[in-house]
Amino acid sequence: MSQVSLSREEAIIGQLKARFPEAIEETKIDRARRVTIHFEKDHVQEIAMFMRDELGFDHVKGVAGVDLPTQKKIEVLYFAGSYSNAEVQDFIVILKAKLPRDNPIIASVVSVWESAHFHERETFEMFGVKFEGHPDLRKLLTLDNWEGPPPMLKDIKFPEMGQR
Amino acid sequence: MSTAVLGAMYEGIKHIFKHTFTMKYPYQKVLLPKGFRGRHLLYMDKCTGCGICAWICPERCISMVPVTDNKEYPQNPEKRFPQYWYARCCFCHFCTEYCPTGALDYTPDYELAEYDRELLLWSPERLSRPPTNIGEYQSVFHGKDGNQGVTFEPVIKQKSK
Amino acid sequence: MTTEPPSPGISISKTAEPSTLDVSVGPQHPGSGHCRILIRVDGDYIVSADPDIGYVHRGCEKIAEYRNYVSNIPHLERPNIADAIHLNWGYVLPIEELQGVVVPPRGKYISTIAAEMNRIMSHLYGLAIMQGVFSGHTTIFMWAFGDRDLFIELAEMLTGARLTYSFLVPGGPRRDLPFGFEDRLSRLLDYFEKRLVEYDRIFFSNPSVIARAKGIGVLKREDAKKLGVVGPVLRASGVKYDVRKVEPYGAYADLEFDIPTFEEGDSYSRYLIRFEEMKQSVRIIRQALEKIPKGPIARKAPLVAPEGEATGRVESSRGEITYLVMGDNSDKPSRVKIMNGSFRNLIALPFLVRNVHVADMPIIYGSLDYWPVEADR
Repeated sequence: MSQVSLSREEAIIGQLKARFPEAIEETKIDRARRVTIHFEKDHVQEIAMFMRDELGFDHVKGVAGVDLPTQKKIEVLYFAGSYSNAEVQDFIVILKAKLPRDNPIIASVVSVWESAHFHERETFEMFGVKFEGHPDLRKLLTLDNWEGPPPMLKDIKFPEMGQR
Repeated sequence: MSTAVLGAMYEGIKHIFKHTFTMKYPYQKVLLPKGFRGRHLLYMDKCTGCGICAWICPERCISMVPVTDNKEYPQNPEKRFPQYWYARCCFCHFCTEYCPTGALDYTPDYELAEYDRELLLWSPERLSRPPTNIGEYQSVFHGKDGNQGVTFEPVIKQKSK
Repeated sequence: MTTEPPSPGISISKTAEPSTLDVSVGPQHPGSGHCRILIRVDGDYIVSADPDIGYVHRGCEKIAEYRNYVSNIPHLERPNIADAIHLNWGYVLPIEELQGVVVPPRGKYISTIAAEMNRIMSHLYGLAIMQGVFSGHTTIFMWAFGDRDLFIELAEMLTGARLTYSFLVPGGPRRDLPFGFEDRLSRLLDYFEKRLVEYDRIFFSNPSVIARAKGIGVLKREDAKKLGVVGPVLRASGVKYDVRKVEPYGAYADLEFDIPTFEEGDSYSRYLIRFEEMKQSVRIIRQALEKIPKGPIARKAPLVAPEGEATGRVESSRGEITYLVMGDNSDKPSRVKIMNGSFRNLIALPFLVRNVHVADMPIIYGSLDYWPVEADR
């Protein structure tokens, strides 16, 4: 990476930390235009609201789940982006929350970011994360009669595809 | 409004007088460029049987099998060569590129359909046969910048023009 | 019935009015892949729509955890065969970032030329099938598909395959420009620019097409921002957002091009935006052929990626594709997440297919250029 000043990234982190001193656990600047923020899961809607209204991040590019079986956690990632605010249009802010693996529940952000609608449905189906307050939390991609644990968890293995 | 209708009609009618685009496929075949990723060609005198092709294969269609012929392969004393299961091959040719000795090559053969499923399994001997598909037609623009249409012409004829 | 639903993904199973009827559209192949849309009609009007996707779900993200970084390339580009190189490039960028590999300038230019050719091919496919056939215009279908084949011929010359290129690997493109490629490509671009004028006369300026598409399925700018749509759908609603400008990858930083936008946000402006983008792509390829530097095309990249995560994005023909790749010191990624244009534009479909005639639904569906296989992954 080239040596550019990362003041814009630090400004976003600074604003978030000033507003949510307890909720923000850890922050990281991955590189220019990429900011990762670990937060406490109960504050997801407040942080999303702040990001949308104050910082101009008006949509999510996706919601991803990551299974961490060694830590017994499931991580939920929100990729927030901006169309309205020209200054941060080129940013991807990755918001991460860790949920317990046996009972992953987090509040839905659909009321704040409507674009998360199908992404949350997908994460619910693939990782079993329950998004409380989602208007229509149904299965999306798998078969209607498909039964069993969420398929993207690490302990679901497909030996015919090879070693993992 | 009416001029736009007439313009659209004129544009369609104009094409009656242009060359037809279609190539009559089984009778005319397109000339494939060098390096077209068709079926694989195996040089059995170069293959060392290392198995890198089988490791890189995304679809796992390559298996290393011993060959039972009378020839000697000094570079490959175990006589293990790749065998392709063409029902799964996706023709990415990573095997060709990652081969350390250059024992695999591209061929322009793409007509690999068979009546029997077992025939899709290509043994090393069958893979080392020379390619058979020869196309000779190529797209040609007629008129200035192709305003008379595009046709597929034999390449030899095109050169004599 | 007319109250604003809380979210565009309206469940069809809730509270049916007695005068309504539920119709299942699909899951036959409507032009770009299998997808079903459950619509509730009241007379000739659609009350609500519920996209039921997943008919071509293959679990790409799960398969990616089982294969090494290079072997993942062919199957991760399969979701969209019309746009294979962008799906490929978006996956390769984060791996290069993890490994710290920098592609040489010539490699970047070759990738850019291949990607812009692919964008033209994809837009021609969309013009032919998604817009031409769906609005009943058979002539543009034949013309655009025929001209697409000339680009495919050149892509075959460059990459060795007609559609499934697997052209970019970590480190750079797999092949250099072949002998005679520049001449043939610039000759084809001359021909194609003349064809674009003919397309304009027979399709885009054709009053029958305008009557079908103008004012249908209006997505206002604020709605587009709120729903997070991407690509041509977003730019047709007046938001100037293109990854090639906001985060230039490849050789786009050196090249001059415009981002066309339209204010109307209706189906017709979504038709037109792809037409304008093809003109820009021609411009980009011309410049790239002129400016292409000499030198090596690729660097050697390791087969293993270190621990960490990286996000890369490219502007595909259907919008921004963002890939998240997590490495764990092995030759296989521990997680690959694909956020592509079709899946993000899906949310606009139930939003737009509301209070419109049933006959307008194919127009709206075609103008979104939705690719079900890409959305299902």
